[in-house]
Amino acid sequence: MKQFLGFTIKTIIIIVVLAIILDYCYTSVYLQSNNRNKIEYVYNSKSRNYDVVILGSSRANNHFVTEMFEQKGLKTFNYGMSGGHLFEADLMLKLMLERNYKIKTVILEADLNLSNDKRSETVAAKFLPYIHDSEIIKKHFLNEADFNYLYYLPFYRYVNFDGLIGFREFYKTLSRQPTNVLDKGGYHALGNKKGNMKNNIRALKPLKNKYYEEIKSICVANKINFIAVMTPMCENTKGIDYFDKVKKAYPEIHNYENVVVEDKFFSSCGHMNNAGARIFTARIINDFFTE
Amino acid sequence: MFFNSFAFAIFLPIVFVLYWFVFNKNKTTQNTLLIIASYYFYSCWDWRFLFLLVFSTFLDYYTGIRIEKSQKESGRKFWFWLSIGVNLGFLGMFKYYNFFASSFAELMQGFGLKSSPFLLDVVLPVGISFYTFHGLSYVIDIYYKRIKAEYNFVDYSLFVSYFPLLVAGPIERATHLLPEIKVKREFDLEKAKEGIYQMIWGLLKKVVIADTCATYANAIFDNYHSMNSLSLILGAVYFAFQIYGDFSGYSDMALGMSKLFGLDLLRNFNYPYFSRDIAEFWRRWHISLSSWFRDYLYIPLGGSKGGLWVKIRNTFIIFLVSGFWHGANWTYVAWGGINALYFLPLLLRKSNRNNIDIVVLDRNWESVKAIGNILLTFALSCLAWVFFRAKTIADAVSYLKQIVTNGHFTSQYLANERYNYELLIMVLLFVVVEWNNRTKEEPISGKYQSIKLAFCLAAIMALGTYSDYKEFIYFQF
Repeated sequence: MKQFLGFTIKTIIIIVVLAIILDYCYTSVYLQSNNRNKIEYVYNSKSRNYDVVILGSSRANNHFVTEMFEQKGLKTFNYGMSGGHLFEADLMLKLMLERNYKIKTVILEADLNLSNDKRSETVAAKFLPYIHDSEIIKKHFLNEADFNYLYYLPFYRYVNFDGLIGFREFYKTLSRQPTNVLDKGGYHALGNKKGNMKNNIRALKPLKNKYYEEIKSICVANKINFIAVMTPMCENTKGIDYFDKVKKAYPEIHNYENVVVEDKFFSSCGHMNNAGARIFTARIINDFFTE
Repeated sequence: MFFNSFAFAIFLPIVFVLYWFVFNKNKTTQNTLLIIASYYFYSCWDWRFLFLLVFSTFLDYYTGIRIEKSQKESGRKFWFWLSIGVNLGFLGMFKYYNFFASSFAELMQGFGLKSSPFLLDVVLPVGISFYTFHGLSYVIDIYYKRIKAEYNFVDYSLFVSYFPLLVAGPIERATHLLPEIKVKREFDLEKAKEGIYQMIWGLLKKVVIADTCATYANAIFDNYHSMNSLSLILGAVYFAFQIYGDFSGYSDMALGMSKLFGLDLLRNFNYPYFSRDIAEFWRRWHISLSSWFRDYLYIPLGGSKGGLWVKIRNTFIIFLVSGFWHGANWTYVAWGGINALYFLPLLLRKSNRNNIDIVVLDRNWESVKAIGNILLTFALSCLAWVFFRAKTIADAVSYLKQIVTNGHFTSQYLANERYNYELLIMVLLFVVVEWNNRTKEEPISGKYQSIKLAFCLAAIMALGTYSDYKEFIYFQF
């Protein structure tokens, strides 16, 4: 039995050593990359200057046409991330400021995502390769229930989120395969979809969202002009009074939900197509950036 | 509590330590601990079905004794049929009742008679097909006087509910496992090491091969209407490796962990995709079920001793029943029927026992022929798997038809955001490793075992699919 104990200990040591080696390799590769997603584009960057930075979920990513801001002479980047929550938007802003970004205006898409102050499983994982390298990321994840596993167990984060930062993503990053996420100033245009648009958001309730509050206070502290907006939903949305509730809870958030209504301007009920996004962006530029 | 779960990684070492350090006084204490652990393991799935397991155990234990003690043949028959009836009754009720009721209603509808069948709102108790077959083999063996009834309830309970094999086999025989249970187990270092290696290899098959293949196979099968010929062929191949990795991986883990407790279970897989004909495939695939049907159905029906038609009838019966055993769906029956059709030419030419030995390749014509036969057998099994995987027979036929009619053999981007061909390298690498180790139960033991162990562990950590978690396929059976 003693020999078996020795064998078991040896096996466990092999597992731990492998985990440390793999963790080191993966992290090193992710620390070198800046062209596969918006998080590493910020994380592995130095100071940048922007007139406008756009933050939020896919409803920011697909709705704010960067090119139209640029045509107006505003240096802009759309950092909206599909599937992202305010947890990630807040962290992105903190990382930008840590890297001495000079930002004049932050436009935050704040509507459906206000109903949730949890992290997005699909987006937050992409910050995790840097959790040992960045005090800001570590602090941001500190209150997460699985923080100890993510931080202290070597390679656990790569195993737990293998679909996002596992071997496949590691290999693509290592072989420097680019994506189109950073094209068009971060704006991702959607095409048309067939069929009737409908959605039901009755279950959503706007929260006093701590990450929204944090973004707001960071902007105040750093003298950044903060514009929070609600973006359009299709006409056939049940529970559309959600947007009124948001307005009541947060009077400073501008309600642009009904700026675009026709189905022909939507790709899905919560996402406008390129034509819809252009109408919406034109209105935003007109209202906030025209003297 | 799956074998590949964190909870099981805690459970197994605790049981191991208690087994060898606290409950190791004699075989009764060892068996008692394993029963407690097994009932706990089973209740983690659904404690309500524990009564079914205990009832089934008690029924077969009691009827076994009564069959042996009965002086008259009528008494023996009564207890025998009582056990068979109740066991199959439970299996039929939980697994097949809804299927038969709705099939009957559909049939009536075909005749213009509307009926709304009474359907049971119950879930299938996990492992019922497996522990029912354990009990059946025990009772049948007593009835035919192949074994003596077991009078020690603890020993018999462990035979039925031993946790490594409880929910997905291998389907054990009383003649094999009970003698092992009836003696105190002594710790054997080499056996325990083999067990660890086999468990690790099984885990690799599950999380690296099966679960990764599953993401591709699902993306192809679920969207087969929009897939080209190459994707559809690859979909069938990926599913073949998914189900093999999943089920043989589970079996390897079951056999491996059982070795940690000093108990050897029946081998369930023996590199089936290296078979040179379909008869050999069935001697290597889910061996414990194939041999169960051979011993308790095929041979009692007359086996291959009768005339030609009897042989053909018996062959079809066991394949169709075997298909139906997998689940209450016509797709499984069709899968069984297709395998029976594959088997038929071998039976008629009396060549179904031609390939008994392990394939040995050399630089000669025989080896080329053997490789050709292996590839042909694999292709045939892939074709049959399409029926096993498809939701309906119509879907399976449509899937196969599209392989022929589409005619495009180009790369295709799948719903899982990957290209159809991407997994081929990993699958081929797996085949090479298995081929080079086809004389052993697992490839880790032997020379350079520490290095091979490290490679396997690294593969499990780096290449495993975890976020897109897949349950073991055979748990549903």
